[in-house]
Amino acid sequence: MFAIGLIGFATRRNLIVMFLCTELMFQGVAINLIAFGAYHGNLAGQAFVIFVLVIAAAEASLALGLVVLLFRQKRTLDADAWRELRG
Amino acid sequence: MRGANCGDESAVNELFSVQYCWLIPLLPLVGAAVAGFFGAKWLKGASHWPIWIGVGVSAVLSVMLLVGMLGLQKHEAEPAHETASAEHAPSARIDLRPFSEQFPLIATRNLFTWLDVGTPDANGHTFKIDFGYFFDPLTAVMLCVVCGIGFLITVFAAGYMKGEEGYFRFFAYLGLFIFMMTNLVMGENLIMLYLGWEGVGLCSYLLIGYYYDKPAAREAAKKAFLVNRVGDFGFALGIMLCFLAFGTVSYFGNGAGTNTGLLELARGAANPENSLHWAYQWIPFLLMLGAFGKSAQFPLYVWLPDAMEGPTPVSALIHAATMVTAGVYMIARCGTLFVGNEAAMWTVTIVGAFTAIFAATIALRQFDLKKVFAYSTVSQLGFMFVGVGLLAPVAGVFHLVTHAFFKALLFLSSGVVMHAMAGELDMRKFSGLKRTLPKTRWLMLIGCLALAGVPLFSGFFSKDEIVGNAWEHSKVIGIVMLFTAFLTAYYTFRLYFRVFEGPEVLPEPSPDAHGHGHDDHAHHNHEPAIMILPLVVLAIGAVLAGYLNWPKESLGEFLGQSPSLAHAYETAIPAYKPELVNPIPFGNERGHAELKKINEEYLDASEATHKTLMFVSGAIAVLGILLAYRNHLQDRARAERLAASVPELTHLIENKYFVDEIYQAGIVEPLRSLGRAFFAIDRFVVDGMVWLISFVPQLSGFALRITTQRGYLQGYAVTMLFGVVVILAVIFW
Repeated sequence: MFAIGLIGFATRRNLIVMFLCTELMFQGVAINLIAFGAYHGNLAGQAFVIFVLVIAAAEASLALGLVVLLFRQKRTLDADAWRELRG
Repeated sequence: MRGANCGDESAVNELFSVQYCWLIPLLPLVGAAVAGFFGAKWLKGASHWPIWIGVGVSAVLSVMLLVGMLGLQKHEAEPAHETASAEHAPSARIDLRPFSEQFPLIATRNLFTWLDVGTPDANGHTFKIDFGYFFDPLTAVMLCVVCGIGFLITVFAAGYMKGEEGYFRFFAYLGLFIFMMTNLVMGENLIMLYLGWEGVGLCSYLLIGYYYDKPAAREAAKKAFLVNRVGDFGFALGIMLCFLAFGTVSYFGNGAGTNTGLLELARGAANPENSLHWAYQWIPFLLMLGAFGKSAQFPLYVWLPDAMEGPTPVSALIHAATMVTAGVYMIARCGTLFVGNEAAMWTVTIVGAFTAIFAATIALRQFDLKKVFAYSTVSQLGFMFVGVGLLAPVAGVFHLVTHAFFKALLFLSSGVVMHAMAGELDMRKFSGLKRTLPKTRWLMLIGCLALAGVPLFSGFFSKDEIVGNAWEHSKVIGIVMLFTAFLTAYYTFRLYFRVFEGPEVLPEPSPDAHGHGHDDHAHHNHEPAIMILPLVVLAIGAVLAGYLNWPKESLGEFLGQSPSLAHAYETAIPAYKPELVNPIPFGNERGHAELKKINEEYLDASEATHKTLMFVSGAIAVLGILLAYRNHLQDRARAERLAASVPELTHLIENKYFVDEIYQAGIVEPLRSLGRAFFAIDRFVVDGMVWLISFVPQLSGFALRITTQRGYLQGYAVTMLFGVVVILAVIFW
């Protein structure tokens, strides 16, 4: 799941799809944490995932807001439209 | 605030001026601060008041100190002397009585410990400097000169500087100067002396450059500062060597007579078998260098004539009466460090004598009023150096006092002339001013008579004492001094006859004359009371100061109560033939009686010589005046004919022996080339290396930016992924 997210992030140009891919990576990591937590028999992994989900939710609202603002500026969702931000 | 004062229970400690000694330097400093901080906006034309009050009270305290000490001297000193000379055989000159009995007129006040650094050495000494003041007759006399004459000059300056740009600044600097100078003469150790020494140098720099919009003044200020640096470098090394050798820089350590002070330890080091003798050989030469710089002796005198670019009261106060005599004071104070070293003493003497005659000849062909007096000051300082160099510190200090009076008088009178002539000082441009400036004429005449050494005026007695001592030690130096005295009389009266006598000529008001805003009162009274009154006081001093030490050696006797001089006398005896060390110039009457027992014949002869020399030098002064009268009043063309008959010599003298040019070619230009070379090295080698070091990362950064930061978000993600892979590979491989 992490790998799918990673490949998606690297290959797609659409900002919303890229954002979805980061969410995919998040969930990949979260499943991993739960799996290893169960494997080792402690609850730290699960507790950690709850934290990750909360932060992911906050981050998602922020990122979607940003995407909306960016779209309003350029009327496109293409990530390459913002190349002039390079240093 | 005041620490323990070292156990000497002398009555001097009870004197009001000693109890509150910190007031003497502090008040002028406070005055300077008030004038400096509030002068520009609020005080303006009244900026002289804080300085008048500060310096005035200090002057009163100084005089109280002197009078108090004189009173104590009458009661205590003399009986002590009687018993001592009866008890001790002439050979055992080292007095064994407790220090406070030997020298009842001393007191030390330590205000606080200024510095205490370093780990204790083998003897338990650290580098400890007390911010303390030391009082003895020498200090008292110097303080009266500094504060007393300083006060008169500040009064004069209020009239002279009226309406100048930066009036408050001038007075703030003057106050700061008095603060520094009092620290210099009152300081308890060499570091305090050095503090004052550098402080007065700073004030001198600031005041010479007072007219900072005048290029000549700026140059002169820089020159004074830099030339003094040369001397002060040696002086600082000397102080360091003192500490290295003796482990202290305090004159008399913690407690007079405990043999912990520099001057007492030096008495032992004067002995060739002492392990510190090597330091004793070097210290005087290094300290002397500082004295030569500050007191404008050859070869470091060049700054003083140029320093006349400053306002005239500054020339009078700093560059004639007080600061330039600091070198003489220092040698008198540190007499024990000098007198046991015959080579050092002869160096001081010869440099002094050479400077005296050298500067006097230059003064012969100067036409600027103040320049004549500047060279005359250099020459008179040479006299003082001959005095202290020839085992006669009292004669040197005596001349210092009388010179302070008459030279301040002369400078201030020429200030009045300058004021009246709208800044014109070239004596070829005016003449016969006795009708325009009648009061100044008489005052100037008194000053000239004193400087020329006409009998019964102060300069005569003090100069004669130096000449007499010179004659006793070496006929050559004696003749040089007599000839210089003749030149002095001649150039002084050349100036007087040209300026005040003869046909009345007033200068054309020229637009380029450096009238510092004086033009507006060209038609006013040229001799306001505020300027004349201080001059009258100085004139009285110039007439009467000579009687301080004649016919009775009262000043000498008083100064002899200073442990500095008394120790110097005792140090001198083993280093010279005893009969050459005349105790009188050390203010040591008791020693005189002892010496008389050993060598009555010699002393009688020397006294007879002294008397004869008095007549000779009086005659010489009159002769010089007569010659000046013939050449510069009776027939002024005669002087020009005389000059034209020896054109090479005239040319040489008019150009001041090309010393400035030699320095320019021999020191300034090579240094400038060296500076240019350093600049080139700095610019191309050092800067080049720095540039190279910064250029390499810049270039690589540029390359990286072009290749990696292209703005494709995916590109960054892939790079990050690649980075993570590399890190993981490194960790887990």
